Amino acid sequence: MPTIELRHITKEYENIDEEQTYALHDINLTVQDGEFVCVLGPSGCGKSTLLEITAGLLSQTSGEVLLDQVPQAGTSRDIGVVFQDSALFPWRSIRRNIEFGLEIAGFSREERRNKVQKTIELVGLAGFEDKYPHQLSGGMRQRAGLARTLVADPRVILMDEPFSAVDHLTRLTLQDEMIRIWEKEKKTIFFITHDVAEAVYLATRIVLLSPRPGRIQQIFDVPFERPRNRNDMELLSIVEKIYMAINNPVQSHDTEYFI
Amino acid sequence: MALRTKKDTKAKNLWIRFVQIAFIAALLAGMQLAVSKEWVSRVFLASPSQIVQEFVYMLKENTLWPHLSVSLQEVAVGYLISAVAGIGLGVLFVSFPLLEKLIDPLMAAIMAIPKTAIMPLLIVWFGIGFKSKVVLVILFCFFNILYNTVTGSKQTRTEHLKLAKVFKASRAQTVFKVLLPSALPSIFNGLRVTAATAITGVVFAEMAAAKNGLGFLLNESQAVLNTPRLYLVIIVVTVLSVLFVGLINLVERLVCRRWMPSRIA
Repeated sequence: MPTIELRHITKEYENIDEEQTYALHDINLTVQDGEFVCVLGPSGCGKSTLLEITAGLLSQTSGEVLLDQVPQAGTSRDIGVVFQDSALFPWRSIRRNIEFGLEIAGFSREERRNKVQKTIELVGLAGFEDKYPHQLSGGMRQRAGLARTLVADPRVILMDEPFSAVDHLTRLTLQDEMIRIWEKEKKTIFFITHDVAEAVYLATRIVLLSPRPGRIQQIFDVPFERPRNRNDMELLSIVEKIYMAINNPVQSHDTEYFI
Repeated sequence: MALRTKKDTKAKNLWIRFVQIAFIAALLAGMQLAVSKEWVSRVFLASPSQIVQEFVYMLKENTLWPHLSVSLQEVAVGYLISAVAGIGLGVLFVSFPLLEKLIDPLMAAIMAIPKTAIMPLLIVWFGIGFKSKVVLVILFCFFNILYNTVTGSKQTRTEHLKLAKVFKASRAQTVFKVLLPSALPSIFNGLRVTAATAITGVVFAEMAAAKNGLGFLLNESQAVLNTPRLYLVIIVVTVLSVLFVGLINLVERLVCRRWMPSRIA
């Protein structure tokens, strides 16, 4: 079943000389229920713009975003977002940060406490509940950011380069954690990254965007079982294919990518 | 360069403190000597011992406290009204940006008037008693607190606002759970700056026209050339100012200490 459908999403900006420039051009993508889709592309290819449009934080110039076949306008509690730098509130403890969404949705104190406790254990933050964000490492903060989204139980989670601010080793751990949580919670994930190895390790499908205007250059299936081995030949061959595609951008005006 | 040990730093700090105290002691001794040897006229300068004597005398005669208490009340009432109204209107401005746009030019115009120039008018309107002082304190403090509330909330991180949108927070939820907490450091800055301003305002207003208060006491002492008393009142006003700012700092620490380690050092 399709969860998220992007239909002919185009985003134009008007620059200072009142010329129209395309940030995104005619993006068509269908994400199936429970998929882990990675959107890969260099800086400035419109990845974050695409995420914000999908989240309903930014409006597209034309095209539609559908959630369970229903066109979306604005944000939805069924679509959660994890930001690049956790974006925790410095004035709230970790527990209170995580329960922010539940508080907004009007859950009682007791319900919040139960849900938050479970999520804290799921993301591996037990013992850090009463700390404040500045007392945590970048990796821990990112776990808290993920927990805040998970606890509100959205159908889809959009992640905007969530691990780009942490060191490489922490990043590898967080990737494994991400897979464990995804397999347990069975969420649909739309994950933005500029790290090819990360995308290949995590994704069931990789969408490669080409820059200026941002458009879908190619889609790669990554149909391998988990747990995956980072040095698996089959994974590495996909990494190689992606690098080749990035280095030889074929203009794909006439190609359409429908799944 | 050799590494500085903790012990070295401690010794150095002690040395600095010693020099500072020695300097002040020398200054006070110099004043004492200059007055007792009559190097300087007693009209210009009061010796520390004279000031202390004057202080003891005023305590005995109970001539300081009545004025001090009047000034304190004027400051307290004016400042509290300013804080409540400033933060309150700030919240309204943040919640309804249209309201801010509407009223902002008026506010800017009133703010542009040098407040001291309004004092004579305030006396005509409210008399020379309590009310005119309170109003002047409000004029001195209100706008600063208001604008610190508004500009502070405008510094809210965009990610935090996006987050509120993603979770579909209502306008009120966004204001009270995101915008105002973000503005808190800026609000406290406003409260801190105006704490000192409030005291300046009251003393000025009492000097302009009053029957009591510290400003009145300054005028009176000057009229009878009671120089030790002038010095004493200046010291009292200064101490008051320092204590008031200290109080605001204390409140800020109590409110923000857990999430703002950098300020507490």
